[in-house]
Formats: sequence, structure tokens, C-alpha cells
Amino acid sequence: MKFGGTSVATHESRLASAIRVIQAKEQGFKPVVVVSAIGRRGAPYATDTLIQMLRDIDQSVEPDPRELDLLVACGEILSAVIFAHTLKTLGHTAQAFRGGQAGIRTDGVYGNARIVGINPISLFRSIEQGHIPVVCGFQGVWVPGDGSPGGELTTLGRGGSDTTGAAMGAAMKAESVEIYTDVDGVKTADPDAVKGAPTLRKVTYDEVAEIAHLGAKVVHPRAAEIAMNHGIPLWVKNTFTDDEGTEIVTREKFPGRRVTGVTHTGKLVYLQFDLKNAEDGDRVPIEQRIYETIARYGVGLHMLNMSPGSTGFAVPRDQYAIVENVLDGLVVPISGRIYVFQVGQAPSREVETQVALLGTLGEVRRIAAQLTEGCTMVSLVGHEYMQQPGVFLAVLKTLYEGQVTVLQTSDSDYSLSVLVPEAEQNRAVRLLHERFGLAEVR
Amino acid sequence: MASHYPTGLETIFEKQRGISRVESRHGYAQVHVSQIETRVMETRLRVLEGVADAGISMDFLKLTPTGMSFMVREDCSATIEEILAGTGVHFSVRNGRSIVLVYAVNIRDEEGMIANILQTTITTCAKVDHVGDMHDRLLMVVRTEDVDRVVNQFKPAENVS
Repeated sequence: MKFGGTSVATHESRLASAIRVIQAKEQGFKPVVVVSAIGRRGAPYATDTLIQMLRDIDQSVEPDPRELDLLVACGEILSAVIFAHTLKTLGHTAQAFRGGQAGIRTDGVYGNARIVGINPISLFRSIEQGHIPVVCGFQGVWVPGDGSPGGELTTLGRGGSDTTGAAMGAAMKAESVEIYTDVDGVKTADPDAVKGAPTLRKVTYDEVAEIAHLGAKVVHPRAAEIAMNHGIPLWVKNTFTDDEGTEIVTREKFPGRRVTGVTHTGKLVYLQFDLKNAEDGDRVPIEQRIYETIARYGVGLHMLNMSPGSTGFAVPRDQYAIVENVLDGLVVPISGRIYVFQVGQAPSREVETQVALLGTLGEVRRIAAQLTEGCTMVSLVGHEYMQQPGVFLAVLKTLYEGQVTVLQTSDSDYSLSVLVPEAEQNRAVRLLHERFGLAEVR
Repeated sequence: MASHYPTGLETIFEKQRGISRVESRHGYAQVHVSQIETRVMETRLRVLEGVADAGISMDFLKLTPTGMSFMVREDCSATIEEILAGTGVHFSVRNGRSIVLVYAVNIRDEEGMIANILQTTITTCAKVDHVGDMHDRLLMVVRTEDVDRVVNQFKPAENVS
């Protein structure tokens, strides 16, 4: 039973969560609890708050990944100890475990480690002794193999606590893994955009992986994949209601539906680089330089678009500053020509300086990127139905008739996405939700 | 210890990060519709309507300022040409396109992975017409003659963490 940040945020929510655990025990199960850090962004012990404590010392000095992992792991340790104590106050003996104590071994990638093995012997012992084990989510231990005693604490990156829950369930051959959160399960759309969006009773692992990839905040694909590979039933449930929740199953058990839901991402900035100024033979090295630079700085890309005269992509708004910083004023010399990158309509002082200085050395050409700020990606997610003739037409026609501006499109085997202005996001979600009859889906 | 519990488990849980597999799909044609000067969205919809009415499935739809492009199966090329000629738009249909699929688990969680795959592909001098992504793969449209070069570029990375 994994409890997310909002399920352990306050004394009241911890009580509600603890009662779920006790009920499971009273039904004859042997519950093992996995907890996230207390609260979400802004809460005193939430992961983001802990990271901010380091950044507040000096923004210009990047924290060491090893130390960062030690720091952020404290959030789950606090949470596990407090949750175990809450269970004790309700008359049930419990023991808190760090990830390493629970037997979770990872690779050595700080901040984004992957689980390589679990030996849950200490948890079985704890159960044998009558305790309810409470395990810190999101963390494990890396044993470097150089004789270091105890190993190195690592954290699992995005979806880490869900991953801990699923992996622990697999290692202990659990009856099921239940992910508790503050919504009733996987919904057909964000309820903030579509009031009364129904909860799906079953979704396939593929569906859940794709809707998470396209912005929905549900169970992380890593957790779904582990549960699928080990044949463990996985549920998403609400800590605070008696709704039955969503079961995540294989396609053998449930064929899926034509359309699963409509998702949206966070805020994006779209950049379209005009390559018409470049000589034909120079376009490849220019594109190569753009993507090499983006890769080096670890920026996530959405809505990739490549055509003979241009290349474009959207980046999360919180990563845009990195992109602007590394690409605006970038100089690429090719065969005696000098290309200077300009991000945005008006040249920055850096671009003007580069052009003025380099102009004395040879021919200078600008590669300008047109910016579209304040946009977001809305996606229709389903299975092979997305490949059916006319689905893209239906999406574009619906949005056009609903006066939503479509800036760009992209698609994959299981989804169709449109880039729209942020202000039109919820309207776009509502229109597609209605057009594809998602209010009736269960 | 009670013997009914599984003990001493050392199970492999997560796929290795990085590229796990590369594959290709052949037999596609790239359709470009261009030079639409007025009522751009209405014209695009009219073209898409014609394609849908003919029961043709399309992939990789991308909008351009004065048109759009998309992919269809190569065996639909002749039908597409007829449909587009009927709508009166300026268009071109280029056969000999393939899709290269590069699989990497949780591709968006691996910082810079998508850009890195693209950069590696561009290094082969293959012309990438379109790109799409799913949670576990990047899909790139290239000329069929370039496919082996692109696939070989990623082969050494397969199953390497």
C-alpha cells in the first residue's frame, strides 16, 4: 500500500491512510506500507522544499548529486517514521525502514537510480514479529563493489515512490499493489478542465504509460511496467473516499477502449528555427549542433517538427531559460560562413555583439528561432484507434469549430497531440472530451 | 524464518536505461501540401476530409504556415494523388520513406535522451522528415535508402545501459 504526499500531509490524512492499512490487516492481509515525503511542493518537508534549502545558500553553486540524494531522502525518512508512529498510536506495532534497510539495491546514478534488485528479508522478519513495515519510497542503496561499507544512498527520480511500491510488491509476491492518492483513480481528463470527468475502472499498462508520458499525473509508467512484468495487480485508489478506484491490467485481461482520455502537459514554449538562411549543405551540421547542445543540457523536448526549411520543438517553460541561455548567440562556423543563432524576434545584445565582431572575419548569417510562449500540448490517447482514418480530421475539425487555435500537431501509435495557446487549453480538453464521448466511458 | 515466504530474492525489476532496441518499418510515402494562401485551416480540413473519406490512415501530420505534411502507406500514393488533385491544392507525394523506431524506456525521464537520439541520427547525414515520440520510443521518418545507416548507428547502443 503506497501513500502519496497528500495522503501523509497532515495528521488527519495520515490517520485516514493508517485506517486503510489497519482495515487491510483486519481483513487478514499482511500490509507493507510505502510512503512519499510529507506534502507536495511548498510543504515544509516536501522534496522541492528540501532542495530549495540548498539552492538558497547560493544559486550559482550546483549541489553535489550525492549530497542532494542524502538530503531529499530525509523527506521520506521523516514520513516513514511519523507514519509508523501513527500506526502505533492506533494500537498496531510498526517499523520504519529506509530503502536500503528494506533491501532495495540500485545502480549508481544519483537522482535517477534504477532498482537492480530487492532482498526483502528484513521486511519478512518484521512481519513475522507482528509489525507493519513502513518503507521509505523513492530511495535505495548502491553498493559500488569497491568495499565501501553500507553502500551509497540513492534516489529513484520521477515516480520513485510508485516504483518502490510496485517493486516491493513484486519482490514480496504481493496479492496486489495499491497506490493511494487524492483522486478516485485514473480519469478521462483532468477534473479541473472537465468537471465530473469519469474514473476509468480498468486501464491497460500501455494506456497508463502513454497518458503519464503525455502529462497526466497518474501512476508512473515505471511502476506500471514492474507490476505488469511480475503479474501483480495494480490499483490506483483515493485515500479519502470509498470509490473502488482504477485497476491497471494487461491487454489480455482488458482489450482497452477506442479512446482512453484527454491529457494536457504543463506550460511549454515552442521554438521554430528558420533554416532558410543556411546553405543546403550546412543545414545538417546546424541541426546537429542544435540537438547536441540541447542534449548536453538535458532539456526535454516535445512536439518535434522537422521540415526542409526549419526545425522546431517545444520545451517546458521552466527549462526555457536554459535553452535561451545556450542557443541565443551561439556561433557555428561552417566552410567559411559564420552562423549566429538568435532566439526571438529581436536580437539580444549578445547576438548584436557577436554579429558585429564576427562580421570583420567573414560572412555572418543569422539562424533565427521564432518563439511561441504560453502554449500547452493537449493529447487524445487511446490504442490503435488513433490510426483509424478520419480521427485526426475529427480532432482538428472539433477544435476549429470550437475556435481553438492549433499551432502544431504530432502523433504516435497511441496518441494524437495538438499544441494550443495556454488560455485555450481547458476548452480544447473539454471539446475533445465531448466529441469522443468520454463522459460515457467507464 | 517461515519457509512459506520467498527469500533471497534478487529479481531484475527495471529495464536498463538507454536504447534497448531499434527497428524499422518500410513502405511509406510523404505527402506535402503547400502554398495555401487563404483560408488555410479550412483548406487543410478539406484535404483531410478527402483522405478520410477514402479510408486512408495517416501518420505524422505536421502543420506548416501554408499547408501541412503527412505520411501514408506507399500503396495509397496513387489514390492520394487523385484526391489531392481534386481539391486543387499544390502538393507533392514522395515514395520511399521508412520509419525508424528507437526504443528507450521512459524516454522523457532520461534528460536529453530525445535530443541525443536526433543528434546521432543527423550525424549519419540521413534526412529526418518527421519525428514523433511515445513513452518508450522515438519514431523518425527517413528515406528508405538511409535506414540501414541510421539503424547501424544505434546498434552498438542496444542493451547498453
